Amino acid sequence: MIKVFLSIVTKELLDFLRSWGLVVLVLYSFTLDVYIAGGGMQIEPRNVSVGYVDYTGGGISQKILSHLHEPEFLTPKMFLSQRELSKAIFNKEIMVGIIFDQEFEKNYRNKKEATIDVLLDATAASQSFTTLSYLQNIVLNFSKLNIPIDIDIHKLFNPNSDEHSFMALSELLSVITMLSILLPAIVFVREKEEGTWDIMLLMPINPKITILAKSFSQVIIIVAGVMITVGLVLFNGFNLPMNGSFLAFLLLTFFYAFTSAGIGLFIASVSKSMMQTAQLSMLIMMPLIFLSGAWTPVYAMHPILEKLSLLSPLRYYIEGCESIFFRGTDFVDLWHYFAGVLILGSILYWYGFRKIGKLF
Amino acid sequence: MANLNVNSVTVIYKGNRIGIKDASFKAEEGEIVGFIGADGTGKSSLMHAISGIIKFKGEISFGKYVYHSPKEAEKVKKYIGFMPQGLGLILYDRLTVEEHLDFFANVRNIKMDKNFKTYKQKLLHMAGLSRFTEREAEHLSGGMRQKLSLICTLIHRPRLLLLDEPTTGVDPLSRLELWEILDNIRKEEGTIIIVSTAYMQEASKMDRLLLFDDNRIMASGTSKQLTDSVRNYVYKKTPCKDTDCLELHNVTYSLKPLNSEHKDPTLEDIFFINALKNRKKLTEISVSKRERRLEIPPIVMEAKGLTKKFGDFVADDKIDMELKRNEILGLFGANGAGKTTFIKMLLGLYPIDEGELTLLSQPIRSGRDRRKLKSKIGYVSQHFALYKNMSVRENLIYFASIHQIPASEALRRIERYGKELGFSDYLDAMPKDLPLGINQRFSIAAAIIHEPVVLFLDEPTSGIDVIARHQFWQLLKLLKEQWGISILITTHYMSEAEYCDRVVLLKEGKKIADDTVENFYKKHPEASNFEEIFLEYYREAN
Amino acid sequence: MNIGVIKAYILKEFKELIRTRMIFIVYAIPIIVIVLFGYGIKLDVTHSRVLIIDNDQSKLSRELIEKFKHSKYFNATELNISESKALKLIKQAKKDAVIIIPNSFEKRLIKNQKVNIGVFIDGSFPNRARTIENYIEGVIIDDLQSYAPKTSISTNVININPRSLFNQAMRDEDAIVPGLIGFVLLVAPAVLSALLIVKEKEEGTIFNFYASPISKEDFLIAKLTPPFILHSLNIFILFLIAVYLFNVPFRGSFTLYWFSSELYILISLAIGLLVSVVTRSQIVALVLTVVITVLPGFLYSGMIMPISSMSQESYIEAHMFPVMYYNHIIYDTFLIGEGLNSRKIILYLIILTIYASVLFILGRLFLKKELKK
Repeated sequence: MIKVFLSIVTKELLDFLRSWGLVVLVLYSFTLDVYIAGGGMQIEPRNVSVGYVDYTGGGISQKILSHLHEPEFLTPKMFLSQRELSKAIFNKEIMVGIIFDQEFEKNYRNKKEATIDVLLDATAASQSFTTLSYLQNIVLNFSKLNIPIDIDIHKLFNPNSDEHSFMALSELLSVITMLSILLPAIVFVREKEEGTWDIMLLMPINPKITILAKSFSQVIIIVAGVMITVGLVLFNGFNLPMNGSFLAFLLLTFFYAFTSAGIGLFIASVSKSMMQTAQLSMLIMMPLIFLSGAWTPVYAMHPILEKLSLLSPLRYYIEGCESIFFRGTDFVDLWHYFAGVLILGSILYWYGFRKIGKLF
Repeated sequence: MANLNVNSVTVIYKGNRIGIKDASFKAEEGEIVGFIGADGTGKSSLMHAISGIIKFKGEISFGKYVYHSPKEAEKVKKYIGFMPQGLGLILYDRLTVEEHLDFFANVRNIKMDKNFKTYKQKLLHMAGLSRFTEREAEHLSGGMRQKLSLICTLIHRPRLLLLDEPTTGVDPLSRLELWEILDNIRKEEGTIIIVSTAYMQEASKMDRLLLFDDNRIMASGTSKQLTDSVRNYVYKKTPCKDTDCLELHNVTYSLKPLNSEHKDPTLEDIFFINALKNRKKLTEISVSKRERRLEIPPIVMEAKGLTKKFGDFVADDKIDMELKRNEILGLFGANGAGKTTFIKMLLGLYPIDEGELTLLSQPIRSGRDRRKLKSKIGYVSQHFALYKNMSVRENLIYFASIHQIPASEALRRIERYGKELGFSDYLDAMPKDLPLGINQRFSIAAAIIHEPVVLFLDEPTSGIDVIARHQFWQLLKLLKEQWGISILITTHYMSEAEYCDRVVLLKEGKKIADDTVENFYKKHPEASNFEEIFLEYYREAN
Repeated sequence: MNIGVIKAYILKEFKELIRTRMIFIVYAIPIIVIVLFGYGIKLDVTHSRVLIIDNDQSKLSRELIEKFKHSKYFNATELNISESKALKLIKQAKKDAVIIIPNSFEKRLIKNQKVNIGVFIDGSFPNRARTIENYIEGVIIDDLQSYAPKTSISTNVININPRSLFNQAMRDEDAIVPGLIGFVLLVAPAVLSALLIVKEKEEGTIFNFYASPISKEDFLIAKLTPPFILHSLNIFILFLIAVYLFNVPFRGSFTLYWFSSELYILISLAIGLLVSVVTRSQIVALVLTVVITVLPGFLYSGMIMPISSMSQESYIEAHMFPVMYYNHIIYDTFLIGEGLNSRKIILYLIILTIYASVLFILGRLFLKKELKK
């Protein structure tokens, strides 16, 4: 039986390696795609264009402005009137406009409340939020000079706030999800499309072994791809920290790959062609990825979505991986991620397995 | 007068692969020209060139239009009707019969007047589709799809009609109807019709034949002229060991005169004689004894009242059948008569709705009953489905290992089959690079790698050229003789009935005849070939 | 142009789209995307789980804790556990930040002596960490400022008076949902049109086009009209979802929104058309379309970050994709309402028109009416 299992696995791996289109897609997803996402996605404000109108004639206002510097801000651009400034914001040439009124300097010196008007282009809400908090801090620093307080901030796990390694990891997890659904589905649908399905059914093997061997072969491909990405792209390209146990990560990935394979089996059992497979996978994958907390923390979601996200195995997988890479969480403390993946995984795989098994 | 004049047309594909070389011929109004030849000898390439959908060298003129490229051919396209190869390839699965005709008419800018409506009804009637106008193409049988494709191609009354293997995979009855339509059209409209076909019997319906070989036009003439040209080489079966000789199961060809009685030549003979003339060696097929001896029961398969329903449609209706040890049983019937469904029921690919099935003395009631038997059954499906990303050898190794044949034994067996079935040279090729005939023998090798006792073959010979088909039947015969194997086979080539021990005829899901081939001929002494017998049964049953 | 031929093809395409249930995909995917992303993406950081360890237990420290508890940005809890235990909670991803108020916090403040507040933040989500950091600082300093007059501390107070233009409430939905329309209307029509021609190639029905006297232009018009009409309906559906489900204000001209969206759909269809013309199988066409539309459509939509603050290469790339131009117009119609008074919008409309024309010309050039050798 082991021998038959292995020959099916070998056959599937060979089949995969010879389908160059698929190989290119998988390699692209595991290398370039992750690389582009990690390199290109930047949420922190960069080169924010600032314009200002200064009715005070310099002094404190210029001191404040001198704190807005690269890389976060471009050198502030002066405007002569508030109208011109607003117009520039309308045309998206300027994102933040600062107005120092005539009373500003006087009030400040007299220790009265001095007010700065800030115009934000809130159509770019994320940048507006961060820019505003930057400004607030700069200004607070001005006020704070006289408060005897020192806020000692330690950012744990990722002290430089390196966005790239984080984005790259998130993308990798999405890629794993996509491929570990698609590949097992393709393995079965290809047999249907090429007409070898009947031949497969007529083999003197227990169908369970066929299904298991076929999904296992694809899990191997995923795990191999993950090794490539982590070694080549994440550690080398983005200096991703590895604060936890690599073994734990591999193990979790392995279980997770089976979980998604279950979804893949389900898709394969209901679709007749590659086209249907692709469409169905897209329909299933989108909610799965967006319910996972990859883009936005789960607890900040709409309450209904938050509840729903408990059903997404990807949620446990992503949190688990972040904990392993960044937080360096101990193996024992990872148990609920493992439990989440394993429980949902067993249900999904069992369901997919049964569904495709009925076709045998 | 719109005559067709093809002048030294050459089509070359990427990588310098030749499609057709230096083809020239003429055709006159109302003439039917047949393209005859094996798969991949350039028939389709020439058709594509004439219909102006592929670049070519040379010159083609139709009436007053002369063209040298697809671009120049644009102006004649309104006079051309082209039907490409493939069962209903040009049909849209989700459109109904009626919608198809309207669509094709609209695309050709035909006024939907009374004239059109009468013509449409006539076409529908000719194709026997009048009752099915509301049916979506997806649910039509192969023969119906071909007929629908044909009338769609005819809807704009083309002056030049090009049909690429319109009858392949189509049953004799549908084939006959197709030809009736064509004959009417050319008589009424004076259309030039160019048809390619793999059925030699159809050649007699053509005014002129072009024989294709080696991507050239090898010979041309009427059916009679062509057969007469080889008359001197065809003899009744006589032993002859010369290199200028070729001995088949009921005929002998010899380039030198033999001291033996001549036989009436057929078109098929031309291909063998041509091969003989060109000193092409035909692969000698051999089969050695089984490696493992097996006890085979006298009745290999016994079906009692097997029934399969798809919704309201009864695909197989209470069919009784027996397959004896050491017997080749041919399963014949029109498209949609229930042949494939029957085989799939035997194999367990479709559940049996009613009836009893006994395979190798084992009553089949559940999947478990079958599992033990799987290693004794071999199956080749309609499309020779094999894994296309693996070489011939890898495919065979895979099948062997699934059947738990030890590796060393498997490798030895593969080498042996390669030699005996004549595909040694192709062992490391990919299935898609194989000629169709080789692909078919290799599919058989995959199906017998585990030395089964019974073989189910579903239309294994469709689209394969004369010589390869002959070799294929030789192989089956040897398997029967050497292994005592039983074979159940379906085919649309009526001439192949001669190779079978017994023939079962199915019609609309019912068995209408079951007898030995000899008895069939005895019952129908007036019939000159099996096709006539077949048609008679079909007409009687109506 | 041959109206009869075009009509026949359009009729056929519609029947096929409906009978193969592709029509479901045409409407389901855009709606799912906009609803999921619209609810799913949160740019503001709210409800960060903060643990405060109060070693002082004074009036001042309790006031500070109250401030945190009342902020919508925090889910603050007070627990008196050791620092190492608190850090472990971060490690287990149960807390996002820990704030440690030292003992003698109040005493030292009154005496105007230096006070150290320790803050630990989970940095694995870098952007969130930065925002949390700013918010924590903000709350602490704000609290002390309000306290300042009561003590001897002297302060110069500067107030920031932010006025968000166009999106006063700073709602995520207002910022995200219009951008999503630009994303969806780029991806969905492209996917549909990419399949339309390659499907005929794969199934063989393309012969009907090759072997008939239909002109390439008529064929393209006939093929693209059904997806164009179907997706035109999406313009309205997405508008309704944005305005009524997400309550995004609509301040501009609906005509401009409608017109520019139709233009944009044409561009998307043309992208799909180009893919369809150069590929041979449906699956390749699908993957290729997804690769060239999804990531750029998302990155350069301006949802995640404004184009102006992109690095040089991304800045140039962004200008090469249509989504940036369209989204500028669409944000205007929803949130600003400047409309055609803005020179930039007129310029962008012209750019989109050129974009569409160039793509269609390319598609027409690459479409062959003969078998590929």
